[in-house]
Amino acid sequence: MAPTKDTPFRSAEMSMVQLYISNEIGREVVNALGELGLVQFRDLNSQLSAFQRTYTKDIRRLDNVERQLRYFHAQMEKAGIPLRKLDLDVQTLAPPTTHEIDELAERSQSLEQRVSSLNESYETLKKREVELTEWRWVLREAGGFFDRAHGNVEEIRASVDNDDAPLLQDVEHNNSAADVERSFSGMNIGFVAGVIARDRVAAFERILWRTLRGNLYMNQAEIPEPLIDPATNEAVPKNVFVIFAHGKEILAKIRKISESMSADVYSVDENSDLRRDQVHEVNARLNDVQNVLRNTQQTLELELTQISRSLAAWVVLIGKEKAVYNTLNLFSYDSARRTLIAEGWCPKHDLPLIRSTLQEVTNRAGLSVPSIINEIRTNKKPPTYLKTNKFTEAFQTIVNAYGTATYQEVNPAIPVIVTFPFLFAVMFGDFGHAIIMLSAALAMIYWEKPLKKVTFELFAMVYYGRYIALVMAIFSVYTGLIYNDAFSKSMTLFRSQWEWDVPPNYTEGMTVVGKLRDPNYRYPFGLDWRWHGTENDLLFSNSYKMKMSIILGWAHMTYSLCFSYINAKHFKKPIDIWGNFVPGMIFFQAIFGYLVVCIIYKWSVDWFGTGAQPPGLLNMLIYMFLSPGFIPDGEQLYSGQKQVQVFLLLLAVAQVPVLLFLKPFYLRWEHNRARAKGYRGIGERSRVSALDDDDDGNHHGNGRQSLESEGEGAAMIAQGVDHDANDEDGEHGEFEFGEVMIHQVIHTIEFCLNCVSHTASYLRLWALSLAHQQLSSVLWSMTMALALGKTGVTGAIFLVVIFAAWFCLSCIILIIMEGVSAMLHSLRLAWVESFSKFAEFNGWPFAPFSFGTLLEENEELKEYLG
Amino acid sequence: MANGWSIIIGLVVIVAMCLAAWFFSPKGENQVLWRSSLILAIVSCYLMWAITFLAQLHPLIEPRRSDIRKEYIHH
Repeated sequence: MAPTKDTPFRSAEMSMVQLYISNEIGREVVNALGELGLVQFRDLNSQLSAFQRTYTKDIRRLDNVERQLRYFHAQMEKAGIPLRKLDLDVQTLAPPTTHEIDELAERSQSLEQRVSSLNESYETLKKREVELTEWRWVLREAGGFFDRAHGNVEEIRASVDNDDAPLLQDVEHNNSAADVERSFSGMNIGFVAGVIARDRVAAFERILWRTLRGNLYMNQAEIPEPLIDPATNEAVPKNVFVIFAHGKEILAKIRKISESMSADVYSVDENSDLRRDQVHEVNARLNDVQNVLRNTQQTLELELTQISRSLAAWVVLIGKEKAVYNTLNLFSYDSARRTLIAEGWCPKHDLPLIRSTLQEVTNRAGLSVPSIINEIRTNKKPPTYLKTNKFTEAFQTIVNAYGTATYQEVNPAIPVIVTFPFLFAVMFGDFGHAIIMLSAALAMIYWEKPLKKVTFELFAMVYYGRYIALVMAIFSVYTGLIYNDAFSKSMTLFRSQWEWDVPPNYTEGMTVVGKLRDPNYRYPFGLDWRWHGTENDLLFSNSYKMKMSIILGWAHMTYSLCFSYINAKHFKKPIDIWGNFVPGMIFFQAIFGYLVVCIIYKWSVDWFGTGAQPPGLLNMLIYMFLSPGFIPDGEQLYSGQKQVQVFLLLLAVAQVPVLLFLKPFYLRWEHNRARAKGYRGIGERSRVSALDDDDDGNHHGNGRQSLESEGEGAAMIAQGVDHDANDEDGEHGEFEFGEVMIHQVIHTIEFCLNCVSHTASYLRLWALSLAHQQLSSVLWSMTMALALGKTGVTGAIFLVVIFAAWFCLSCIILIIMEGVSAMLHSLRLAWVESFSKFAEFNGWPFAPFSFGTLLEENEELKEYLG
Repeated sequence: MANGWSIIIGLVVIVAMCLAAWFFSPKGENQVLWRSSLILAIVSCYLMWAITFLAQLHPLIEPRRSDIRKEYIHH
């Protein structure tokens, strides 16, 4: 029964295809295939470095455009202009023509020039503005110095004359000197005025003092407003300084030092009238500059706003275009026929779609040369392509997190869709908690579209698994009903099978014991609520849950093991059925299947009715191994037990050599027989790719050869070195008995030990469900039980407060924390206990060239997409 | 009345449900998904119910408690 369509049951059938595309429409074809997202191209130029490839030039050009777009984005961010994001669910971008891309490149080139020239002039103007502002401050502050200093000429002269005088003595104290009108120039004293960053002042002063040996007089004042450095756009607090000194050389030295300390020196006139004029002039110029500055900024912002409208679309277009050229670089170019040759994997059933897409592109281009797509035979391992939908996607992800299934083996996600949530629910069984979880899951599904945009990572993760949460919650509601637990309280849905055996003189505090109400009536659904709150509640529920874990585990593992039969049958390896599946199954059932039968048998016998003592099953299983054929007195489950157990034990033991030897020896026999008939190993025959030889004649020769040997007009591709497929030539070529034997020994030991350890591993179902139930009952007794014990108004208020606390704690601890822990345990049961029984996980994932995944996975593009 | 036969009756019911799931699963490439999931879910739920029912079919211990108020003892 060959499936006519790909189903999620196993990975899609893949074929290696060869495409012959006319060089002119290469870009259009790749564009269309990228929209389709069904072909994974192989690199046919792996011997070429990135620089030697055909389309590197185009990629460079697009890189440049991308850089320009990023520059616009950075400028927009600097100017605080919001980006209009692109919502691909609403807008679709038509595939651009080469002309459009060129236009875009040109446009972004000119825009970049415009923006950067605007930016440049803005920066120059800003610099000018800062300079003028600084000058204004210098004029203002220095004016003050002069006014004060004119009074101190005497003192300054004294300090010049007298070496002992303190150099930087505070001016204020000596303000009494009278000779105000005397000018500095008469004394041959010059000065330097400027602005310096405040944190440099100390160093500046020290250097001046040391180089000039104290021959200076320095004055400074802080500028109250911090000045903006146009280069870094940071506010820097600065000081105005005026240095008076004697002699031209010293002044020149001071100027040099100022420059080296990156101080800005401004010219200030000594004369106060001229200074006033200067101030006016500076103010006027500052005004002009500020006006121009404002205009420039407005123009820039206008320009950027214009760009912001379509920037996201441009980025996406360029990103796609780049991906197209990167893909084209994987193709090999036949310059003689001006044809591009591509090789790649695609799903076999989608070939007609790809073919028609090619046809369409060729027709649209109006080309007379048809594009050809050829299926070719290969012995390479095809990639695993598992189709998913909205519902199965998350399930498939948790399976893929473990590994990639082998090509065409049973998709491990198929059983996981039910078993994973179900085993979760066995551990999470509480009706109340499940209802809350169900509401959350339903809400996420109902508001699927708006919630998709939430970028908060933790929520996005939960949202991604919303369908898992839904199935988990549904099963949890069911198991909650079975366990009869709702927030650790029981529900009296049906009449109990028990009634209290009340002694006639009953007083409160007496111990009462239940008795069966009716020998023919049993609680029909779930656990009897009469057990709730009894002294021996745990005794009963532990025994019940433990046995349930074993039975569910047995069922889960048997079910998983059956898939190995389906796999062996699909891959047409009967030896895997007879050498692995059958003996393994017998081994497992002889021990644990028997245990399960015994559990069910023990439950279904009315031990008190028969008057016999119910035997312990654990001891039975232990004695079955330790002393086969011996049953202690009073421990007999059924007559003939002795013989049955011995038989089963022998049966199980007999499977071990079958498991060990059947497969390796069969493979050896098969290999020797093939050898005897003159066949050689696959890898020993040399075959080459049709593409490896540029020589046409050779190519056809090869084709004819394979035509003869394969009976099909397809060239074989067997050439080895390929990064995406594991190079398995060695394994194919030589049959090594030792290797196979070791592999089988490991498999056998692993399988037999795992039967025991995995069965024990399922006891976690019991442990976690016990923990969940006990935790929620402890929470209830520590919060709600206390509050419900109080009466009156205070009791009511207390109840409200406590209810809030109880509810929050229930959600955080019992639903979120316990839910996560149960999920992890269930995940382990799926990954280890179930998958080890059938799945090989030896595949490599199919990663088609697709614009959809490109846009989804590119972090850089993410900020442009809404 | 719910007695030991319930297990068999339940089995018949779920077999019927499984058959229904097999035949009424929506056609298309996801049919196998519908079938396997529905049948697996039905069987799992039945298994759990049957285990719980069997565990209480011939109980080896009785519930016992000593904190019941007089008014509730006959409920």
